Amino acid sequence: MTNFKCIDVLIHMDAKALHIAPQAAEPIYRQIAEQLRRMISAGQLPAGTLLPSVREVASAHAINPMTVSRAYSQLETEGLLERLRGKGMAVASRHSGGDSLDQRLLQADPLLQELARHCMQLELPTDRVLSRLRQLLEKEPT
Amino acid sequence: MNALTQPTGAHALDLSMPLQARALQLRYGKHEVLRDVSLQLPRGQVLGLIGRNGAGKSTLIGCLLGLLQPQSGQAMVMGAPALDMDDARKMRVAYVPQQPQSFAWMKIEQLFAYLGQLYPSWDRSYADTLLKRWELDPGRSIAKLSPGQAQRLALIRALAPRPALLVLDEPASALDPIARRELMRDIIEQAIDNEATVLFSSHIISDLERVASHVALLHRGGIMLNQPLDELKERIVRLLLPAVVAESLPPCLPGELLRRQLNDGTLSLLIDKQNLPGELLLIDGLRVDHMGLEDLFIEIAE
Repeated sequence: MTNFKCIDVLIHMDAKALHIAPQAAEPIYRQIAEQLRRMISAGQLPAGTLLPSVREVASAHAINPMTVSRAYSQLETEGLLERLRGKGMAVASRHSGGDSLDQRLLQADPLLQELARHCMQLELPTDRVLSRLRQLLEKEPT
Repeated sequence: MNALTQPTGAHALDLSMPLQARALQLRYGKHEVLRDVSLQLPRGQVLGLIGRNGAGKSTLIGCLLGLLQPQSGQAMVMGAPALDMDDARKMRVAYVPQQPQSFAWMKIEQLFAYLGQLYPSWDRSYADTLLKRWELDPGRSIAKLSPGQAQRLALIRALAPRPALLVLDEPASALDPIARRELMRDIIEQAIDNEATVLFSSHIISDLERVASHVALLHRGGIMLNQPLDELKERIVRLLLPAVVAESLPPCLPGELLRRQLNDGTLSLLIDKQNLPGELLLIDGLRVDHMGLEDLFIEIAE
């Protein structure tokens, strides 16, 4: 391989990649923040990826711009996003490879706990739940 | 600039607070429609107004815009009494009533030419874009429009002057889902591009949950839940308390909005989580439900 000069290839995330459920009890800014956290954490949005502007997200989903900018500011405070001058919001550089396995597991933990609680309430046998879960995780046909 | 944009009356044009109402009261005979309504819409706010049929939403909007005179209280539009608006203010307000006034004898293009003369801020290319997007033929005579088309025309008339204050009364009732989504997008773009302040009433709560920054519920002549929508969803919860605990509860808790005993003795409490006494959350068998706006509305107004 020859020496390639490293150029910044800017990846733009499409606003439509977000899923918004306006009727949900969860406020829209939390839905956006949560999805971005997951995508960054899993490495789907590598460091430097440019996020769609507040206007683009608001217009694509016909949602209020304030809730979008609130999501962005929150992630900026958490250090997941950084504001690039003249370009907008981007995934912060220290998250280049995504989070470690343990960190990602920790993120899924609240949902797993809730799942476990539901299954216990329904008195489901552990092995049946696990095999169904395995099916879902490995995307076998049901 | 145009002479119309200069303050002409005794009241300076206050664009930071497009709409404001204090202690509005209005009765029709013995029927008290507005008991005591106060509201503030600072610039850029998108307020969604909800309430049952007959709750007085259109009456409230009429009072806010000076089309109806309340028995007491006062509404102000951009710093001047709503009942006494000058041209500079009227030019910056767009209002789409539930039954839009028609100019039945005109064609769409004739109406738009006339409005373009009337409004200094009429955006012709935006009006054309909207006509095209909403599939209205400019050569069509207004008398021949379907109800859905008439509603779309009324909305274009409201949006094209790029108003500072946009008031929409049930704007989406005759629109299909795609046209509704486009309308919501246009409202959002007006709010971003022109810093327009928007008040709109709707029964289609999911529309409102998209675009509104704030919501207000008009119920029994008063305003309830008037706060940012995100905050509302985070703070107002429904608690279900087992019957045994219900009896020992004080008659009214801080932040309590509604209390209802279910048939099995369970107590259902609608409450602001912020002020919740901590020991309440430790009760055995307690259930906490976060709610969407529609459920919240039904819980209160039912």
